Amino acid sequence: MGCGHSYYYRHKRRKMYALVDCNNFYVSCERLFNPKLEGRPVIVLSNNDGCAVSRSDEAKALGIEMATPAFMIKDLIEKNNVAVFSSNYTLYGDISDRVMKTLGSFVPRMEIYSIDEAFLDMHDLDYTDLLELGLKIRSTVKQNIGIPVCVGIAPTKTLAKMANRFAKKHRKSIGVHWAANDHLIKEMLCVTEVGDIWGIGRQYALFLKRNGFNTALDLIEAPEEWIRKNITVVGQRLFNELKGISAIPWEFAPPAKKNICTSKSFGKLLSSKEEILEAVCNYAAACALKLRNQNSCCRSVNVFLNTNPHRLQDKQYARSIIVDLETPTNFTGEIIKYATRGFNIIFKEGYRYMKCGVMALDIIPDNQVQYGMFDKCDRPKNKKIMAAMDRVNRSLGKEIVRLSVQGFEKRYRLKTEYLSSHYTTDINQVLKVKI
Amino acid sequence: MDTKSLTNNTGILFFNSTVPAGFPSPAMDYMEERVDLNKEFIQHPLSTFIVQCEGLSMINAFIPPRARLIVDRSITAKNGDIVLAVLNGEFTVKYFKKNNYKCWLVPANSKFKEIQITEDMDMQIWGVVTHIITDTKDVKCML
Repeated sequence: MGCGHSYYYRHKRRKMYALVDCNNFYVSCERLFNPKLEGRPVIVLSNNDGCAVSRSDEAKALGIEMATPAFMIKDLIEKNNVAVFSSNYTLYGDISDRVMKTLGSFVPRMEIYSIDEAFLDMHDLDYTDLLELGLKIRSTVKQNIGIPVCVGIAPTKTLAKMANRFAKKHRKSIGVHWAANDHLIKEMLCVTEVGDIWGIGRQYALFLKRNGFNTALDLIEAPEEWIRKNITVVGQRLFNELKGISAIPWEFAPPAKKNICTSKSFGKLLSSKEEILEAVCNYAAACALKLRNQNSCCRSVNVFLNTNPHRLQDKQYARSIIVDLETPTNFTGEIIKYATRGFNIIFKEGYRYMKCGVMALDIIPDNQVQYGMFDKCDRPKNKKIMAAMDRVNRSLGKEIVRLSVQGFEKRYRLKTEYLSSHYTTDINQVLKVKI
Repeated sequence: MDTKSLTNNTGILFFNSTVPAGFPSPAMDYMEERVDLNKEFIQHPLSTFIVQCEGLSMINAFIPPRARLIVDRSITAKNGDIVLAVLNGEFTVKYFKKNNYKCWLVPANSKFKEIQITEDMDMQIWGVVTHIITDTKDVKCML
């Protein structure tokens, strides 16, 4: 029977996943346009120049850990001539898009997992040697976009992630590892500590170590009895993945987001109502734009603000409120109106605030909006106004046209002292070359 | 006319755009998409970058100061190509010349020297220049 054949076929051809991961991605983006940074320790700081979020190998060798606050390593930075950058998400976003689209050209299906990682479906390809394909992917991305990547290939997502890590550590010169058979998988499992397995957090790793499991191999050889007693459903899934049975499904297109959130820490602590309200209005406007870009509307808006919980010397306050909208909308003016209403309720004088944010909730496609019976707003007209505003802003620059409550100075804006240029998205900021 | 006012009483929607009557345009069957410079001049958008020059070393290759160059990283440089190269950490634009044994970065201006690439140098081709964009204001002639 036909189906019998296809069953056999599917099992004969094992599933294969590749995890492609850009090496020190933000640092690599900076180096692409600044080759002098090659060989020099480089770090990129998080929003508001807070912590190191991307480190070159040289910076790692200096002992700079992930998420180290910049002020704590000031001396180290000066002494070792570490190059420091603010995060340039405009640049990283464009380079990421180029990398992802290039990766997509190799396989029929892929899942973008984060700004610098993607799972590729390597199952059912014409290649018999996936190592060769991995090498080709790596060299193409390096040549065409200039970003170094590592590739790990294995029968499950968890093992692909592990193979990627293995490639980084043990196959450095080629940067690719294919765990093609049980022997190669075992080799990988026995050098991977439980804490380095994808999906195992620090607490759980400690628990496993206390129970005598040090490596991934120890874990999959655990006695059945122990597993039944100690492992949850999530744990069971992970367990299967480690054994080579794929248990984490593909997530191809999660794009139409269920929640849209814009929130950032302020450049400095703020107390003035007027200044924070300006930030709220800008975040509300950003949410409205995101909604319009994906042709959705939201039914409610969440506004939140909080003080800095790490400043024990300060009085603490944090509150969040959800405001329901009369009619679902994506108009900047309306979203700002509701966000302001919420803000006025939750704001309290006398605190030093660190952060506020606006979230658009209950998102629906804008063609499914039911207009309210007593809705006074001229929606077709507003829609035209928004479309015109977006067009102007797209062609003349971000936020050229905005509502006056959004202000002009952005006093709350993030610190980005060490920002590089938007080399690929602004014609006035392209790379300048002395020839 | 405002469409809204027309729908109020009768519930029938009138369109306020013009309805073509009579002969259709004779050009209708011949319509094609307008020329798109992005499509014509950028073959590989994912690997194409734009840079701006400053300096005179490539003036005889028709690259005046302030010219913008379209650079494609996916192309492997051949003898005679204009390239964006990185020489000891610095960007430069030159002709790329090579034979079986050696390679050079060659300027297009006799006032500049050609550079032979030796072992102690660190030279990489960043990309191949495919087109030059010049604002005519930058090459205006005082007549």
